[in-house]
Amino acid sequence: MLDFRPQAGLNVLVGQNAQGKSNLLEAICLLGTGKSFRTNRESDLIKSGLDVASASGEATLRAAGTIRLSCTISSTPRGTRKIYTLNGEPVKYAKFLGSAKVVTFVPADLQLVTGPPSLRRHLLNMALSQDQPLYYRNLARYQKVLVQKAALLRGAVAPDPDLVNIYNQTLVETGAAIMLARAHFVSALGREARRVQDQWISDGGALQVQYDANVPFEVATQDAVTAAFEARLRERAEAESARKACLVGPHRDDVMLLLAGASLAAFGSQGQQRTAVLAVKAGEYTVMHDRSAEAPLLLLDDVLSELDPSRARAFMNGIGHYEQAFLTTTVMPPDLRSSALYEVSAAQLKRVA
Amino acid sequence: MALINEFSKLPTVGPKTAARLVFYLLNRPRNEAQALAEAILAVKDRVRLCSICFSITEEDPCPFCTDQRRDATLLCVVAEAKDIFALERTSAYKGRYHVIGGLISPMDGIGPAQLRVKELIERVGSESPQEIILATNPNAEGEATALYLSRLITPLGVSVTRLAYGLPIGGDLDYADEVTLAKAIEGRRAL
Ligand SMILES: Nc1ncnc2c1ncn2[C@@H]1O[C@H](COP(=O)(O)OP(=O)(O)OP(=O)(O)O)[C@@H](O)[C@H]1O
Ligand SMILES: [Mg+2]
Ligand SMILES: [Zn+2]
Repeated sequence: MLDFRPQAGLNVLVGQNAQGKSNLLEAICLLGTGKSFRTNRESDLIKSGLDVASASGEATLRAAGTIRLSCTISSTPRGTRKIYTLNGEPVKYAKFLGSAKVVTFVPADLQLVTGPPSLRRHLLNMALSQDQPLYYRNLARYQKVLVQKAALLRGAVAPDPDLVNIYNQTLVETGAAIMLARAHFVSALGREARRVQDQWISDGGALQVQYDANVPFEVATQDAVTAAFEARLRERAEAESARKACLVGPHRDDVMLLLAGASLAAFGSQGQQRTAVLAVKAGEYTVMHDRSAEAPLLLLDDVLSELDPSRARAFMNGIGHYEQAFLTTTVMPPDLRSSALYEVSAAQLKRVA
Repeated sequence: MALINEFSKLPTVGPKTAARLVFYLLNRPRNEAQALAEAILAVKDRVRLCSICFSITEEDPCPFCTDQRRDATLLCVVAEAKDIFALERTSAYKGRYHVIGGLISPMDGIGPAQLRVKELIERVGSESPQEIILATNPNAEGEATALYLSRLITPLGVSVTRLAYGLPIGGDLDYADEVTLAKAIEGRRAL
């Protein structure tokens, strides 16, 4: 067990490879989001040879004062089990999530522009789930029903148009809310990312971040989105049953990143792509902060050391005001001002400055 | 020990609980152990499904189906026989039951054809109940099953109702999740 009392401001964890820096960040992420930024397999979070992993901590919030959080993952013969507590009481994940908000920036995020759409949806889902409990609930319901509809289309049971319609009804109900939330979030994200990018580069052309909804809609209202989704499901009903797959809905959404009107993934230089990633991540932090009375925790795993010093500095400036951040690195970036510097070695922590 | 092993196969029983049960039994008189052993065997030998409602019973048809004091105009549809016993504990319901034997879940290979839906429709025809109460769980599968059954039964001219969603009694409004609260508002009633 490791006891860590970080400072306000920037906490830097420096150490050689494989000493446990990311592991500590992961524990903080687990307390904020109930999930790891490294893996989806919960059993990977348990130390090999043991059958329980647990993280607990205190967070001081403006609104709620000091809250206590814990997340315990145990492996049982029936699979892994996760228990969340808030102030000592067991709570459901939906209640735990968002108690202490975090924004993470990890090496995988550097693929945000060039990587698959799932990476960009993941960004939206993590941000919005923490921001709005209802978003998370709608997403969880949507995904559950989508799996059932997919199994039905695949032929796991006898084809049944009535049942498809019933699943579609829930998909529309939850999916329309997801699409609306995404549309609003992406428009704020685009504004912030562009503001940040404009601070960095004055003549590089405008950065645009656009919501590329799988079901296009005219105006972002509940009625318009619902109607568009229903119509699209009807149009594609035959195709869905022929191709035995769910072809319509926000599970196929994407976010388009454009520079001066051209797709960054297709036409951007590597430098331009990287700058856009930084602008989007900085923008994500700002939007999350704007939407909440609390400044989210900022978790930076190794990414700044992959950047040249001027970009790293520009990123931290782009974030603007944060209250507490954690940064892991193997080499202390020159002229980065930290509140506290810790050396991590063999899973031990020593404050050195 | 063999008995510890056997107990730990039971749902919700882990090795620790299994050991506690065994040590408890060791301290009890022999006739108690015998009564338990016989009751367990009787479940396997005598208990079967009621041919009308598919509840579990020692006599067919079951007491729920034969008891004339129960209201035959009400038919409550549940997923599993154990749900009947949960409803019976409330003493609030005095109608008849129908166990469909699960919930629609294509990912588990369960569609309407795998459930006792046809039998339910036949009963609606032959017993002419006035109200069908769908008492499936308020989760995704329970919802889909209820919607499916309601679309099937409503055209037969029978009124179909669903258990109300609500706030836990003794709970705090503050602590209810948004979906429960929203459903509770939708399902509000005049006082
Ligand atoms: N489930 C596990 N059980 C035991 N050890 C693990 C488990 N998962 C990861 N490790 C190990 O824990 C050690 C610390 O990993 P961590 O990712 O925290 O290192 P790090 O300090 O961030 O290193 P780097 O600078 O390379 O990113 C590594 O040796 C890793 O292989
Ligand atoms: Mg690391
Ligand atoms: Zn019966």
